[in-house]
Amino acid sequence: MDPMNENFEPKIVGFLCNWCSYAGADMTGTSRIPYPPNIRIIRVPCSGRVDPLYVLKAFQEGADGVLVAGCHPGDCHYGDGNYHARRRYALMHSFLDFVGIEAGRLRIDWVSAAEGHRFAQVVAELTEQVRELGPWTGLQNGG
Amino acid sequence: MSQEIQEGIRVRARELLSVGEVSCIIGHERSAKGRVRPAFVYDEADAGRLVWDQTCHHNLMVYLRDRVLLSRRQDAPPRMAVVARPCDVRALNVLIHEGQVTREQVFVIGVACPGMLDGEGIQEHCQRCKERVPVFYDALVGEPPRGKVQDDTWADVAELESMTPGERLAFWTQEFERCIRCYACRQACPGCYCFECLAEQVDPPWVSIAHGIPEKAFFHVMRAYHLAGRCVECHACDQACPMHIPLSLLNRKIAKEVEALFGYVAGGDPEIPPPLATFRKDEDLPL
Repeated sequence: MDPMNENFEPKIVGFLCNWCSYAGADMTGTSRIPYPPNIRIIRVPCSGRVDPLYVLKAFQEGADGVLVAGCHPGDCHYGDGNYHARRRYALMHSFLDFVGIEAGRLRIDWVSAAEGHRFAQVVAELTEQVRELGPWTGLQNGG
Repeated sequence: MSQEIQEGIRVRARELLSVGEVSCIIGHERSAKGRVRPAFVYDEADAGRLVWDQTCHHNLMVYLRDRVLLSRRQDAPPRMAVVARPCDVRALNVLIHEGQVTREQVFVIGVACPGMLDGEGIQEHCQRCKERVPVFYDALVGEPPRGKVQDDTWADVAELESMTPGERLAFWTQEFERCIRCYACRQACPGCYCFECLAEQVDPPWVSIAHGIPEKAFFHVMRAYHLAGRCVECHACDQACPMHIPLSLLNRKIAKEVEALFGYVAGGDPEIPPPLATFRKDEDLPL
């Protein structure tokens, strides 16, 4: 790792769906499961609500990584929101990589309201992955 | 070849206007300085203004939609005739699918396209073009050219893919730096028809008015993503860009992925919904 980045703590923005993943994050807390404090959670109604615009904006405003999490496919509160999100972000990964934002900085995952352990694991994995990639400094506002 | 097509278009235009089948012909004309520009012909006597050659690169479907919008409050929507190359007709297919125009409103004067010229030779994307005759038309002018079609090897996309992410970022930073935010790419694009573009939205202000690389990159990346599964690769954006930014490269990357993931090519059958407007429950996508 770059010695300059020794004390680098990644900033990760997490878009969590209200019905599963946000409740899952709650479960992590109430179960007293430790997870990295690097994630900043934004609650959204559904993973299908997460416009790719939000992800790009997060990267532009200083996020080093982005997590989009929703209900497992088939469990969407609204029926099919996460199916749409799945297609959207399957495409977004390779496209962001194409413009220079490493695919590893964006993670899409499914966390149910009962999966407190899983949420902690997803956040820990993403945090380590982004730590390896280093700070994101391209295409940002105000340097 | 071009002469033949031009004559064919003029004959058709006279015919259509004289019997009153359409109210307007959308085609090309030559300006006083000799450059081609879009033309709107309402009168039979003006049909001689219409020109066609291999430099008529405008995608005229853009104007079609504007006309429909303008006349929305009238009793009957006007019927228009439009000169369309194969790529233009694919764009029309997208517009029809998205409910922007109806097939009945448009009389398509299809052009069997020999490809657009770029300086000396046929443009690269035209050499790759598989359909030299539009997928549908009401009248066809010209003979389908028999030139050999190059296979699309996605070499331009692959070249960038072979770089490291850092190199790609440097490449795009350098390209976007030239952007003057004139939005000509958006105006020329038949798929870009939002009433309020995200680049000009004031509340919330997604893209600031600053003239910095982040704003330019944000606009171009989001515009390309909005065209995911909808871009028909007419390359009107490239043609419109005064700074020669390879904008269609972004669209081509998405088109490549869309084809690989969903087996979909934009502008084909209007009955098949675009990939991001639909889903399959059992699909296994790389996340």
